[in-house]
Amino acid sequence: MLELRGFLWLTGFLLLGEALVIWLGLPISSGVIGMLALTSWLILRGHVSVAIKAASQPLITLLAMLIMPGVVGVFFIVDAFAGQWLAVGVALILGTLASVATTFWFMQRFMPRETSEGRAEQ
Amino acid sequence: MSSLASLRDSLLITPLPAITLTIAAFLAGGWLFNRLGRPVWCPGVLMAALLLATTLAITGIDYDVYREGAGWLMLLLGPATVALAVPLYQQLPRIRELWRPILICLPPAAALAAFYAIGLAWLLGATPEVLASLAPKSVTAPIAIGITEQLGGVVPLMMGGLLVTGVASVAFVGLLARLFGIQDQRVLGFVLGVNGHVIGTVRAFEIGTTAGAFASLGMGLTGIFSALFLPLAWRLLGL
Repeated sequence: MLELRGFLWLTGFLLLGEALVIWLGLPISSGVIGMLALTSWLILRGHVSVAIKAASQPLITLLAMLIMPGVVGVFFIVDAFAGQWLAVGVALILGTLASVATTFWFMQRFMPRETSEGRAEQ
Repeated sequence: MSSLASLRDSLLITPLPAITLTIAAFLAGGWLFNRLGRPVWCPGVLMAALLLATTLAITGIDYDVYREGAGWLMLLLGPATVALAVPLYQQLPRIRELWRPILICLPPAAALAAFYAIGLAWLLGATPEVLASLAPKSVTAPIAIGITEQLGGVVPLMMGGLLVTGVASVAFVGLLARLFGIQDQRVLGFVLGVNGHVIGTVRAFEIGTTAGAFASLGMGLTGIFSALFLPLAWRLLGL
């Protein structure tokens, strides 16, 4: 029953997110709003209940399976985007190279140097 | 043969075959991934997706019919996205400790991850539909699906982009880290999480727990920032 009780919390916050999205006309998905609402709730409570932990962990492990029906679709739309694949490929590969390099630069520039304590930990 | 086909079509009236095939392919893909020694260039999800696509092609199941049945399974994406609040909450002490560098680095890094790709694709003449599908390329899947639907993109194309981005991020982070001699696990983890979402985070946990924690943090914050920022940017750009 523990997992079920945790799952009820998750669906409850998802429903809250959905309600806020409709009510405020937000251009954001209800899952993200639900996640932010639950995070705020956890901060207020100061800890994660056993039930919420029990329901969250298996769901997060299953994320990869839940996205599979979408991933499979890419093999069936090859024809639909004929002529666009060069643009898609270049954008993904070069874009990723550029953004990885930029993030490295930002982090090297602004991250304080590691303390000897931090190093010992590793 | 025709009786088999009619049996198949009768079964496909319910979502059961789609759900069973998805779970079976997921477990088989994970098994194969472990057997091949967990290769970085081909994550378990990709193997599972290839297996599933092959099965659909062989059995002659229409993708749209499959997708409709699997929709029952994808309903769980909502609660699973809400569940991400738990690891996010557990990362809070680290966020507080390093809030200043994170606050400076995250917004430009996450925004540029999207705009480099959008800019390049736009220059090469991609349609608005394709641009909307590429925008959330560095965002973790459950959040990215919501963003793409908001922007008017195509979910399967976005998922393909996510996969390529994840694998490319792991390769480029390895390359650039070696080139510039970067060994700080916090930096490596954060860069992997911001650019390579789940695939980068899995790689970061292989480097070490510190890298893994910073990757989860980078992935979570990129997801939240992009979910808030991209729909607004789209509205401003008038796309």
